[in-house]
Amino acid sequence: MNDELYSFALKNTLTEIQNICSDIKNAFMFKEDGEVIAGDANTPEKTIVQVIDALEGIFEKADVLDGVEAITLEGTKGKLIVSNINGFYLVTVASGKADMKYVNTVTRVLIPTVLRLAENFNPTSLKNSPPESETKIETPTFRNENTPMAETEEPEEFAIKEPSEILKPEPSLPEAPVNQLIVENLGGLLVPSDTVRIDNETLVQWTELYEGGKIESVEIQTFDGKVTQCKVKPIKETKYEGKGIVQMPEKVQLTLEIRKGELVRVKPLIE
Amino acid sequence: MAKREKKKSFQEALEIPETTVLDENPSVAGLRVSLDEIKAFEGVKGYIMRNTTSAAIDLNDPSKIIDYAILSSSAFDATQELAPIFELGDAKEILVEGKNAKMLSVVTDGNKISIFMKKNVDCEKILKKLHIA
Repeated sequence: MNDELYSFALKNTLTEIQNICSDIKNAFMFKEDGEVIAGDANTPEKTIVQVIDALEGIFEKADVLDGVEAITLEGTKGKLIVSNINGFYLVTVASGKADMKYVNTVTRVLIPTVLRLAENFNPTSLKNSPPESETKIETPTFRNENTPMAETEEPEEFAIKEPSEILKPEPSLPEAPVNQLIVENLGGLLVPSDTVRIDNETLVQWTELYEGGKIESVEIQTFDGKVTQCKVKPIKETKYEGKGIVQMPEKVQLTLEIRKGELVRVKPLIE
Repeated sequence: MAKREKKKSFQEALEIPETTVLDENPSVAGLRVSLDEIKAFEGVKGYIMRNTTSAAIDLNDPSKIIDYAILSSSAFDATQELAPIFELGDAKEILVEGKNAKMLSVVTDGNKISIFMKKNVDCEKILKKLHIA
């Protein structure tokens, strides 16, 4: 099960939770690094990003509490609950009259069950684990189409296989990591209009992930779905390092119809 | 100019002494009495109280004042941002639970209070003491 299917399964689960508990208004999940995993049909991705952004300060400074296990925000008209489930954060927003015992019972049973099931299908699908360089690449062994199948043999596409059994026609590159970065202006006379700048550390991590593959360009996607490709270089100013930003010339910002301070998804393009 | 002012206020935050009380008015004084009683509860590690004119901090581990202060302020900031997004109304309290400890933050009469405690401490007892529950 790939990430997309995983996310689809969770999205359906979150929507079903809302069907069971009508008091739950919104439900979505994200990873500790802020990556959105899945959200119900009612919650736009922009809202999810706003929430993650708002909670960032708490996550960053929660060391004094030994991390974050749960956050409960109680208002006069409703509640927002953040629960750590198997290392992922589930956010549920419930109306003020919601029976929280019931809500918690449903979410804390259903979500871990789906997570466990999905993990069983593919233990590495959700975690951003580094590529397994030692994984043996199997030689493709396609069945001759002319060879008739045994009567009892199931067609291949219906057979459930262990991940190790799946044929790998060619050594594939690991899935490109996606970073969510904040747009910062990049200007100056000698600044090329087709080049963005990001943390050198991120570039190094990407290079390591692709075992030395050259990363000279990136794909940038806005939350409205606009996509562009640009050249990439490391950030020069130390004051911007480690801040999770992408410095972007005005031209690229115009292309993507975004401005300073907005969030974009950036992923490397391998040469 | 704006930058300089920001830096100054950050520096001021860093220079908050272990226990600071400024501009004691009757309601604040009453809250402080309640907070001192709460501080004596088993498992309570301390508190931070702030309003527009005064601040009071009493923590068992003064070396972590800045960490606690930033966490408290982050929680109030998050509350302000999140409540309107989901139309949660006026935020009554925010509870942040870690593996071994938790922080209860409440706003009462314009005073922002964060109480730090072990995970097994009963928050309801604290809210009752603050006359919020």
